[in-house]
Amino acid sequence: MQPSDDQLSAWLDGELGAAEQAAVDAWLRDHPDDAARARLLAADRDALRSRFEPVLDEPLPERLQAMVRDGGRRAAGASAAAGALSGPRGWGARLGAALAGGQPWRQAAAVAGLLVCGGVVGGTLVWRFPPAQASLAARLSAQGGWVHRAAVAHAVYAPEVRHPVEVNVVQGSVAEQKAQEEHLARWLSKRLGLPVRLFDLRPQGFELVGGRLLPDATGPSAQLMYQNAAGQRATVYLRRPEAGADTSFSFARDGELAMFFWVEDGFGCAVVGKLPREQLLALGDAVYKQAEAEAAARPAEGASAPTSPPPARPGS
Amino acid sequence: MPRLRRYARSLLFDTGTADDLVQATLERALSHWHQFDQRRDMLVWLLSIAHNAHADQRRRDSRLSIVDPADVEAVQDATQADIGHDVGLRLDLTAALARLPLSQREPLLLVSVEQLSYAECAEALGIPIGTVMSRVSRARAVLRVWLDGGQRGDAVRQLRRVI
Repeated sequence: MQPSDDQLSAWLDGELGAAEQAAVDAWLRDHPDDAARARLLAADRDALRSRFEPVLDEPLPERLQAMVRDGGRRAAGASAAAGALSGPRGWGARLGAALAGGQPWRQAAAVAGLLVCGGVVGGTLVWRFPPAQASLAARLSAQGGWVHRAAVAHAVYAPEVRHPVEVNVVQGSVAEQKAQEEHLARWLSKRLGLPVRLFDLRPQGFELVGGRLLPDATGPSAQLMYQNAAGQRATVYLRRPEAGADTSFSFARDGELAMFFWVEDGFGCAVVGKLPREQLLALGDAVYKQAEAEAAARPAEGASAPTSPPPARPGS
Repeated sequence: MPRLRRYARSLLFDTGTADDLVQATLERALSHWHQFDQRRDMLVWLLSIAHNAHADQRRRDSRLSIVDPADVEAVQDATQADIGHDVGLRLDLTAALARLPLSQREPLLLVSVEQLSYAECAEALGIPIGTVMSRVSRARAVLRVWLDGGQRGDAVRQLRRVI
């Protein structure tokens, strides 16, 4: 029997009973179309997780840190006042510990999120979003076209067989390759006026081929090219910091090309490829995290910094 | 704490607004925690506070604007950038999420991103498990259509009317 949408969704979340779960498994084995849809839904779920994953690594703002510091004390004090609890491990201490991270955060996190949408600021309606979030088209045009230039640069250079990059880091001996990598990073850093990191995408199956300098609207930009064992290429486009609105991690399509892009502190980055969305997302996610780590004042760190694992493959 | 911030961000997108809400949340949890019955799961307790606070806030909002929140939502949906007609652009994930009605967005985020079980989610939101299941499923289906882009414009228009 064909699973309903509800069943398929519950199957994805592992919420069906064993027998029902097995029945859906069996159905999907025999019905590739439905299996494809299940994979799409799984990819959406993974995309959602990856989209908000970077928040976990952000440093806490001071005001929230202060609350965590005071939380345990306040809660413990309130416990005594309420006379509700006693003993060495009252709820105050427990809540304090939870806030400080000593307890599973999942609980408080989920909760607080809910409160959050209730505790809306100053009469603003919850579901009103900043205009910048309203439409991808608006955000793209607000970016002054650099995102499009990133796509064009990919389209121009990615098909190149002999000269895909200006500085090639895959030719010669290991020592020569190493030297070329160092040269590339130094050169691009100098020309762009920001520390350029050669992102490590090997966990995602992509090796660095090299890079080149490109003209952008107001100055130089850089393109790093990666290639996987299947010969597919992805490029990372780096734009010099410019004044203008920051943009959160976004997905766009430009013709056949898919891309993830974002702007932080004026520094723009786009990851471009003719790749399935999930695969590109894994790359975008890795670059984003490595750029974040770089920005978090560890400029001395090499390109071999630990990368987080790619988002889970769509389950099946 | 990071996970708290993540959920707030996934719900509200704007960092400042989300952190305001994280702060308000912690305040509230800390000042009400003594009502906690320790035989219950802390999670469920916190979630129910959260849900009530949320409901209160929405009532306040609706009084201020003298319309039913559902109507406000419908109006806002209609006035938000009409992505269905954007030149061949698909809706990106964040924009699609933002367009989901709150009643679907909350359970979707709790289940997908925070990875709560349906039972936990149901208790947190004060709705039956069956409702969690259907709303999560509905949210996924709508997201899929939006992320798929304009080829299925009819479906999008129809959905908009339903909302």
